[in-house]
Amino acid sequence: MILTLLPALPFLSILLGAFVLMLLSHKKSISLESFNVTALFFLTLALFFELITFGLHSGDYLYPSIFKNFFIFDEFAAIFDVMFLIGTIFTLLVNSDYLKSRNYFSGEYFALLLFSLFGMLMLSHAHELLTAFIALEIASLSVYALVGYHKSKKVSSEAMMKYMVLGSLAGVFFILGTALIYALVGSTTLESIALYLHNAEEKDITLLVVGGSFLMVTILFKIGAVPFHSWVVDVYHGAPYPITMYMASTFKIAIFAIALRLYLVDFATINSFWLEMLQIVTILTLIGGSFLAISQTLVKRMLAGSSIVHSGYLLIGLSSIGLGSDIAAPAIMFYLIAYFLSAVGSFGILSFIASQSRRQMSYDDFKGFANRRPYMALMMTIFMLSLAGFPSTIGFLGKFYIFSAAIESGQILLAGLGIFTAFVSVYYYFKLIAMMYFYESQTDKQKSFPLNVSTLSIALIALLVIWGGIGTSLLSFIPGADGFIDLAKQAINSL
Amino acid sequence: MNYHILSSIIFLPLLMAILLGVMRAPLKVLKAGAILSSLTTLLLVVRVIIDFNPKGGMQFMQNLPWIQNAGITYSVGLDALSLVLLTLIALLMPLLYLYMLKEHRKGYWYNMLLLQTGVTGAVLSLDLILFYLFWETMLLPIFVMIGKYGNGLRQYNSMKIVLMTILGSMSMLFSILYMGYIYFETTGAWSFSLYDLATIDLSTKSSIWLTAGFLLAFAIKIPLVGFHTWMAPAYGSAPTPAVVIMSAIMAKLGVYGIWRFGYGLFGGTLHYYTPTIITLALIGLLYYAIRAITEKNLRKMFAYSSGSHLSLIALGIFLSNIYAWGGSLYFIATHALASAGMFMMIGITYNRFRSVNIEQLGGIAQKAPIFTFFFAFFALCIAGLPGTGGFVAELLIIIGAFKSSFLVGILSATTMLSAMLYIFWMLQRTLFGASHNETKIADLTLKEIAMLTPLVVLLLLTGIMPSLFIPYLEPQLLGGF
Repeated sequence: MILTLLPALPFLSILLGAFVLMLLSHKKSISLESFNVTALFFLTLALFFELITFGLHSGDYLYPSIFKNFFIFDEFAAIFDVMFLIGTIFTLLVNSDYLKSRNYFSGEYFALLLFSLFGMLMLSHAHELLTAFIALEIASLSVYALVGYHKSKKVSSEAMMKYMVLGSLAGVFFILGTALIYALVGSTTLESIALYLHNAEEKDITLLVVGGSFLMVTILFKIGAVPFHSWVVDVYHGAPYPITMYMASTFKIAIFAIALRLYLVDFATINSFWLEMLQIVTILTLIGGSFLAISQTLVKRMLAGSSIVHSGYLLIGLSSIGLGSDIAAPAIMFYLIAYFLSAVGSFGILSFIASQSRRQMSYDDFKGFANRRPYMALMMTIFMLSLAGFPSTIGFLGKFYIFSAAIESGQILLAGLGIFTAFVSVYYYFKLIAMMYFYESQTDKQKSFPLNVSTLSIALIALLVIWGGIGTSLLSFIPGADGFIDLAKQAINSL
Repeated sequence: MNYHILSSIIFLPLLMAILLGVMRAPLKVLKAGAILSSLTTLLLVVRVIIDFNPKGGMQFMQNLPWIQNAGITYSVGLDALSLVLLTLIALLMPLLYLYMLKEHRKGYWYNMLLLQTGVTGAVLSLDLILFYLFWETMLLPIFVMIGKYGNGLRQYNSMKIVLMTILGSMSMLFSILYMGYIYFETTGAWSFSLYDLATIDLSTKSSIWLTAGFLLAFAIKIPLVGFHTWMAPAYGSAPTPAVVIMSAIMAKLGVYGIWRFGYGLFGGTLHYYTPTIITLALIGLLYYAIRAITEKNLRKMFAYSSGSHLSLIALGIFLSNIYAWGGSLYFIATHALASAGMFMMIGITYNRFRSVNIEQLGGIAQKAPIFTFFFAFFALCIAGLPGTGGFVAELLIIIGAFKSSFLVGILSATTMLSAMLYIFWMLQRTLFGASHNETKIADLTLKEIAMLTPLVVLLLLTGIMPSLFIPYLEPQLLGGF
């Protein structure tokens, strides 16, 4: 009996950690570093549990007698769990400098972060629509609070209001969709929906299609697809750097966890209903995101705009799934890993710079950055190249798989558009490189490379980005570029 | 040994750069390391030339699995065509290091090391994704060198060359991916190997589109007229070593790409584009020549001259008869040598006079005779002086052009005439005439003479004794591509 709890240990330890941190957070005497270490302890513990139970409980449900089939354990969820945990660990490590430099952080920050992580972990395991909704809201509510964490700053509060109002509105669609599906199927577990669709030869499934579309609205909103994108740039801008990083990387992956589960398993047979809608949204997202990213002057906002474009690439993968491409689903997962690494890295560097100064960080502020901090500039270059999909970085392979999937499923024009927006993205990413290297610095040199947790973890990510792009199968003891995609395939097969 | 030799040639400079970077090598060590790596690669290339079997087709092959899921392999190999470019790269790098011996900015040296790996890799790869990787990465050092160490509107011009080149690369990437997919559809396995993809049957329509994807990339790189707007600004802004590599190697890579991948993958369909390319090349010949005549900035002038000659090479490739092909291949080598020498001379001129504007030069001949000799020699090589390699090559291409059509022959012969025109006029105004500044000008130093002499010797050898080199190239040309 107690053994069935084993696979649930990761998210139980996160939940425990969140409560512990919440209870401790009223004590002013505890330093931020202790909170940080405590949070990291629980995260590492969860990661440890996750890794030792990896693949052991494929297809098991958590306490079926109590929870019915609400929670599933499979490798798909496990891999997403690992990504969330690593993402949160990196968020904490990379930003440890930033936390110290700002006075508004306190213990609740860590509690909220772990609560939202708990929501995401539930989300990747959710096998029932209401559970998924609750998990999504747990994650979102914590993120809303985190976005507005800098209370005295107007931009931050504005961002929170914007995100919360719009996000809740989008969440309503999820409930509505669930209700409609329940009205038709009489159940909200994914199994029974799939079963219903399987047997629904001549039956009327209009309600299911409408319900599924509403679910999709929420998903598209959360990943910032055009035309649900109006919040993205402002919210990313208003949120503190650690949170922006967290949203762009980890939170976005969580949304794709549920999206992939829904559209690969649940709605697999009727995917084609949404195909055209999805394709149009993809086109809009790619083009709209590019326009947004080009026109920004602040680097943080540019990265926010470009994150919309990256959502567009992922959507190409999603519509390829609808057209029956076998390689699309692993491609999406690989792209998520690739984007995750590059985004964490680039936002990490921004947050590192922000911890040293109070600049807004427009493109102009990066002038002469390579002189001031040559290693940081080098790493930023690596991340920019990876985001732009330059070969020899992991970002290139991500795009490679996505576009191959698009071509395989016959969406030649969409692949062409994707490649074209990748070309456009070269402009705004290379502009930053140009700023860093081609202009003289206005301030003095700061040659020394501060060796601390933040910078070392950024360096580690930079190495991963390169290794993920060129790592060969020759060094068989280290998983290279092949290893990542193998992992992704394994995850998809477990569904 | 032979199995790894090409990989060693490709990656030695990169490994050296990483090693030096990790060591945080001081400037002197960095210089020594760079020169050491360039000399070692040169020795390795000499070894390759000795072992090279002209009749052997593709040789020194190395195939290793790389990203197996997507069928991407690490495969490199060498035939006569790549041997020409490989030799040029290996030869020019030590000379360029000699040229920039006084350079104290470390980034410069690192970029040169990376650049060598990039261009060498592009010449030797036989897998399309691998080729794409090198094709893109060789752009980065150029981007940095123009933007950071260049002059004039360097930031703008470096952005321009990167964006235009990447537009071409992206269209090529699309074609590569689509071909990989077609191969997957017919055989059930992914592959991007040149030889695998060459086996697939394409419908005429898709073949035409895919060819266009590749041709766009190569046309921008060469550049053919219409795709050339990056050329003059980039050449004008770039520091000398970068210009030398751009004109002597990278522009040639565009032609090489047409040869290797155009003929290798779409032999038949390429003829669909023959009229277009030949027209563009002929327009380019004349247009660039006219621009060169009117240009006052020496760097830009020879940028246009380079464009004009590369148009001739591209023309030769599309004429597809043995004379034109042989001439093109020969011209790739001799023009690279001559333009490398010329751009180095322009760099030296700039160091001496702080200007490369024709109007501010003049009267050099009286003061610096050795300088004048080398300057005039390289300029005349570019103009196709009989007795130098360029003459042999141009003659072959023009014969090939006459064989294919009288009109094309006449028009292509104008390159030689127009080149004579702008070269002689330029020489008259820069070397002779009245001097604009009365200061003493130092003649060429021993170091500079040492750096230029190998080029002079090779240009004379290729001109006087083509029979030394032709046997290396002939079997492959006769065998077709």
